[in-house]
Amino acid sequence: MADRLLFILLISVSIAGIFISKDALSQGSDVIIEVDGKPAYTLPLYANRLLTVGGPYGNTLIEIQGGKVRVKEAHCRNQLCVREGWISKGVIVCLPNKLVVIVGGSKKDRQQGIDAITG
Amino acid sequence: MPNYKLFMSLFLCLFAMFLNSCSSNKPSTYKKSKALLDTFITITVVAESKEKADNAIENAFDVIEKYGDLINFFSDTSELSDINRNAGIHGVRISPETLDTIEKAVYVSEKSGGAFDPTIGPEIKLWDFLNKIKPSDAEIRRNLPLVNYKNIIIDRDKSTVFLKKKGMLLDLGGIAKGYAADLAVQELKEKGINAGLVAVAGDIKAFGLKPDKKPWVVGIKNPRQKNKDDEIIARMPLRDKAISTSGDYERFFVMDGQRFHHLLVPSTGYPAYTCQSVTVIADKGVTTDGFDNAMFILGPEKGIELATKMGLDAMIIDNKGAIHTTTGLQGKFTIERNH
Repeated sequence: MADRLLFILLISVSIAGIFISKDALSQGSDVIIEVDGKPAYTLPLYANRLLTVGGPYGNTLIEIQGGKVRVKEAHCRNQLCVREGWISKGVIVCLPNKLVVIVGGSKKDRQQGIDAITG
Repeated sequence: MPNYKLFMSLFLCLFAMFLNSCSSNKPSTYKKSKALLDTFITITVVAESKEKADNAIENAFDVIEKYGDLINFFSDTSELSDINRNAGIHGVRISPETLDTIEKAVYVSEKSGGAFDPTIGPEIKLWDFLNKIKPSDAEIRRNLPLVNYKNIIIDRDKSTVFLKKKGMLLDLGGIAKGYAADLAVQELKEKGINAGLVAVAGDIKAFGLKPDKKPWVVGIKNPRQKNKDDEIIARMPLRDKAISTSGDYERFFVMDGQRFHHLLVPSTGYPAYTCQSVTVIADKGVTTDGFDNAMFILGPEKGIELATKMGLDAMIIDNKGAIHTTTGLQGKFTIERNH
């Protein structure tokens, strides 16, 4: 009897855990891709995706996976952007392609906790 | 079976917590926006049900709309236009709300030594900030004698207002949004709402606490925003307080490298240049809305002095970007990381 109750208790705890962690994980961050100094794409960091962005040296392949982003393939000479590897915050710059990949808080995050704006 | 009792009580506790978290009676925030008073109004309330929230919010919007019809500067049918049309001719009988707003405006004028003046209308109408039209010096000078709050004659008993000089124009734009926020909060409370936030553009009134028992947080706009990451310069937690901001970035144009904005000095008819923005915190929206204008005209030193004298809190960003606050605000707000 006690074993069965313990089992129910553990199940209940894990169900409650799902609700709690769902709340905690609802914040997201953004991947912002700037081309030629202008924001061209904004993507969620928590959705896996491949994206091709054109530039003077051909297409650059950007990969978002598991909350990280990297430049997977680029056709510039020094390949600095590819060598940068995965980032979960900060910036990757590909100067020849005039491409900047920024991982930042989403607008929701930046203004998190603000209920209204005066001014 | 002590184990059995222990497990059973633990289980019941957990079950009760779970039920409580899912129950529809748990207070939540509900939010609605509407374009009224020539601006955008957002009302947030804490309520047990969407139905109760909707009903209260719609009622508050109605109150604001009715008030807006009375004090609209641009509508021929408003009480305010009636007063202006009859300037120099006779007094006009008006509703208690309009009378009260005008009385409050005159009060701010008196306390600020005329830095705030609701009779600024004849000067304001010379400027066209949208089409970048600056009036000539002669035009500005010609209308100056029409600007003087002392020529507003209020007869409380008869509920009338008379503007002494023909051509005078009363403009309540510098105080009406705050007043509207007060009216809306009063209406929400009458409809049984104990906590909420009414934002009439940047004139905001907060009451009660959020469902998490924390105060409402209002962001203060950065007057010199460079990118989307620095929209907010500071955040201010509020409970049962109103907050308003006047800034030189709201209605303005730049001509020959000079910024011309809508916050005109009543004694000269030209924009005031010692501040970028002024934020005031007080119990009532009508107070914050009126005094933020007055302090903007007075500048950082005299503005803080006036706030302190009146028992208000203020944050002034001067023309160099430096932040000045009343001592009452120290430790009560946070400045954003990037400033």
